[in-house]
Amino acid sequence: MRKQTHSVLLACVVISSITIFYLSLSAMECPNSRSRGVWGPNQHLSRNLSYPMPVSVEYNEDSPLIFVGGVPRSGTTLMRAMLDAHPEVRCGEETRVIPRLLAMQATWSRSARERLRLDEAGVTDEVLDSAIRAFLLEIIVGHGEPAPRLCNKDPFALKSLTYLSKLFPRAKFVLMLRDGRATVHSMISRKVTITGFDLTSYRDCLVKWNRAVEVMYDQCMAVSERTCLPVLYEELVLHPEQVMQKLLQFLEIPWDLSVLHHEQLIGKVGGVSLSKVERSTDQVVNPVNTEALSKWVGKIPDDVVKDMADIAPMLKRLGYDPLANPPDYGKPDSLPLNNTKLLQGAKTNTDVFHPS
Amino acid sequence: MRLSVRRGTVLLFCVFGFYTAARVLYHMLACPGGLTRARRLSVRIRDGNRTQYHYSQYSPVVFVGGVPRSGTTLMRVMLDAHPLIRCGEETRVIPRLLAQRHSWRRPGEERQGLEDEGVTQEMLDAATAAYLLQIIARHGEPAQVLCNKDPFTLKSATYLSHLFPSAKFILMLRDGRASVHSMISRRVTIAGFDLSSYRDCLSKWSSAIESMLFQCTMVGSGRCLTVRYENLVLQPRSTMQQVLRFLDVPWHEGVLHHELAIGKPGGVSLSRTERSTDQVIKPVNLEALTRWVGHIPLDVLEDLENIAPMLSRLGYDPSANPPDYGQPDPEVVNNTQRVLKGDFKPPAHLKKISEDEKSKVLKRKD
Repeated sequence: MRKQTHSVLLACVVISSITIFYLSLSAMECPNSRSRGVWGPNQHLSRNLSYPMPVSVEYNEDSPLIFVGGVPRSGTTLMRAMLDAHPEVRCGEETRVIPRLLAMQATWSRSARERLRLDEAGVTDEVLDSAIRAFLLEIIVGHGEPAPRLCNKDPFALKSLTYLSKLFPRAKFVLMLRDGRATVHSMISRKVTITGFDLTSYRDCLVKWNRAVEVMYDQCMAVSERTCLPVLYEELVLHPEQVMQKLLQFLEIPWDLSVLHHEQLIGKVGGVSLSKVERSTDQVVNPVNTEALSKWVGKIPDDVVKDMADIAPMLKRLGYDPLANPPDYGKPDSLPLNNTKLLQGAKTNTDVFHPS
Repeated sequence: MRLSVRRGTVLLFCVFGFYTAARVLYHMLACPGGLTRARRLSVRIRDGNRTQYHYSQYSPVVFVGGVPRSGTTLMRVMLDAHPLIRCGEETRVIPRLLAQRHSWRRPGEERQGLEDEGVTQEMLDAATAAYLLQIIARHGEPAQVLCNKDPFTLKSATYLSHLFPSAKFILMLRDGRASVHSMISRRVTIAGFDLSSYRDCLSKWSSAIESMLFQCTMVGSGRCLTVRYENLVLQPRSTMQQVLRFLDVPWHEGVLHHELAIGKPGGVSLSRTERSTDQVIKPVNLEALTRWVGHIPLDVLEDLENIAPMLSRLGYDPSANPPDYGQPDPEVVNNTQRVLKGDFKPPAHLKKISEDEKSKVLKRKD
C-alpha cells in the first residue's frame, strides 16, 4: 500500500514539476525591459526626470509620435539611438513590418480602379486610415518600453511621410540626409541588402538613392516646417550638440545631456535597445564620431565620378558638391573630435581591423 | 536503504518544482501584463439613432467564406437581411492583410529578423486583430453581430479563431463543376485560376476547398459550420434555421426575403462592382443550380475524379450530370418562376456606375 501511494505521489510530483517547468519556459520570454499597454502610475521610470510624468497616456491618432527615416545608411540608426538616450523618448529597433504595410497601402491607393471597388465596399479612406492607424499603434507601442514620446525608425517609412502625417496629425518627422556617395559606399562595402538596390553597381545604387531621397525630401518640404525636419548626417556627427539642440526644440522636448552620450546607455532600461541583426549596431555602440564621413573617397569608379552630377542631381539640391571628392563637410566640434581620436586609437591597438 | 533513495528522489523533485515555481512567480511579477494582457482593442461606433456600439476582439463575429462562386454572397445577404446581423460587401483588404501576416510568420531568416527587433508574433497578432476589427466594424452599419464575407478568409480560419475567440465560421460548399462554370462563363478573375481551362479551375477548386475544409475541421464543429449552396437554394427555410441556430441568433422571417431589404437601413448593402450583385437582387431561386450541365469539356468529365478529388469527397457524384441535389421548397419554385418572368430589375441606386462618378474617384488625391 505504502509503495503504491509513494509511486503515485512521485508521479504527481513529476507531472506537476514538468508542467511548471513548461509554464516557466513560456513565461521566460518576457524580459524586464519589455512591457506594453497604457502607461500607468505603476510604471517605474528607471531614470529620474526633473518634471512630473503624466499619470496615464492613451495612444491614439493625437499621439505626438516621432518618425525617423531616410535612405538606409544615412545615419538613421545613430539618430534614433541618440533620441533613445533621452529619458522621454523611446524609438527602439526597426520594426520592418511598418514599411511593408505602408507600401501595401500605397499600392492600392495608386490604382483608381481599386479605390473605386474599395469605396463601393464601404472601405473608404477613413475606414482604411483607422485600420492602419490601429495596426501601427499596436506595433509602435508594443515593441518596446512605454515613454511619453514614442518614436519609430524604419528608414523607408518616410516614403509615406505625407500619409503618416495625415494619420497622425501631431506626429513629427526627422528625415536623415547624407551625401549619397557615402550612403552608397556604405551599403556596397558592408553588403547591406536593400530591395531595389543592385549592390554590384555604384551607378545603379546612386540612381536609386537619388530617386528614394527625392521622394522623401519632396514630402518633407511639402509639409509644414513644424512637422518635418531634415537633418544632415554630416552636421550631426560634426556638431552634435548644435544639431541635437535644434532637433529637440523642433520635437518640443526639453534638453537632456544624455543625447550626446548615447553609448553609455546601451542595453540599459530606459536607454538604447539595440538589435543583434541590424547592420549599424556595431557602429552605434561607439560614441558620435566622424569615422564614416569620407570613407567613400577614392572608392567610386571613375566613370561614375565623372557623371556624378547627372546620375544624382539630388546631391546638389541637398547642398553636396557633386564634383568635390570629398566636399568640405566642416570642422568637427571637440566632442566628436575626441571620440574619433579615441576610436582610432582603440583600432590601432586591436589585431582585427574593423571595416567601415 | 531503498526507502531513503525514493525519499531522496521525491525530495529532489520537490526542490526542483519549488525552484521552477519560484522562477515563474518572479517572472510574473517582473513582467507586468506578461500573463494577463490587457488588450486595448476596442472600437466604438455610434449609429444613426445615436446608439453606441462597442466592439472588441471578444465580440461575436461571423466569417463567411468558401471558394468564390459558391453562394458566399447569397449567404451573406440573407444574413444581412436579419436585423441583428451585418456583413456588408467584400472588404478585399482583409485577405491581403492575412496573406502579408502569414508571410511574416514563415520560419527561418525572415522570422528571426522580426523577433530580434522586438516585434513578436504576439504583437503582430494584436496589430492584425486591431486592423481587422477596424475594417469589419467600420465598413458598414453597426449591428449586434458583425459579420465579414471575403471568400478566401476561410483559408485562415484557425488563425482568425485565435484572434477572435468568439468568432464563428460559415464555409459555403458547392458542386465544383457549378462554381467553375460560373467563374468561367461570367469571367470572374480569381488569382491562380486560369479561366481558359476547366481542367485547371477544377483542380484549383479542389485544392482550395480541401484546404478550407481542413481549416474548418480544425476550428471544430462548434465554431465552423459547412453549408451547401444546393441546400440553401432548395430548402432555404430549414437551412437558414440551422445557420441561425448555429450562430445563436433568434429566427427572423426576413432572412427568407432578402430581396426586400436591399438598400434599406439595417438591411442589405450591395456593391456595384461585385460580380454577384445582379444575382442577389433577386430572391433565392434555382436559376444557377444546374447551369453547368453540358458545358464541361468531355475530356475533363472523363478525368473528373483525378482532377477534382474533393468532388466525390464532398458527396457530389462526379459521374452524374447533374446529381440529384434534392427537392425544392414551393417558396423557391415560386421565386424561380417570378425571376424567369423578369420580375426583378436592379434598383436605381445599383445601376452601373456613371462615367462621372468614375472620374471623380480617379481625380481624388491622397
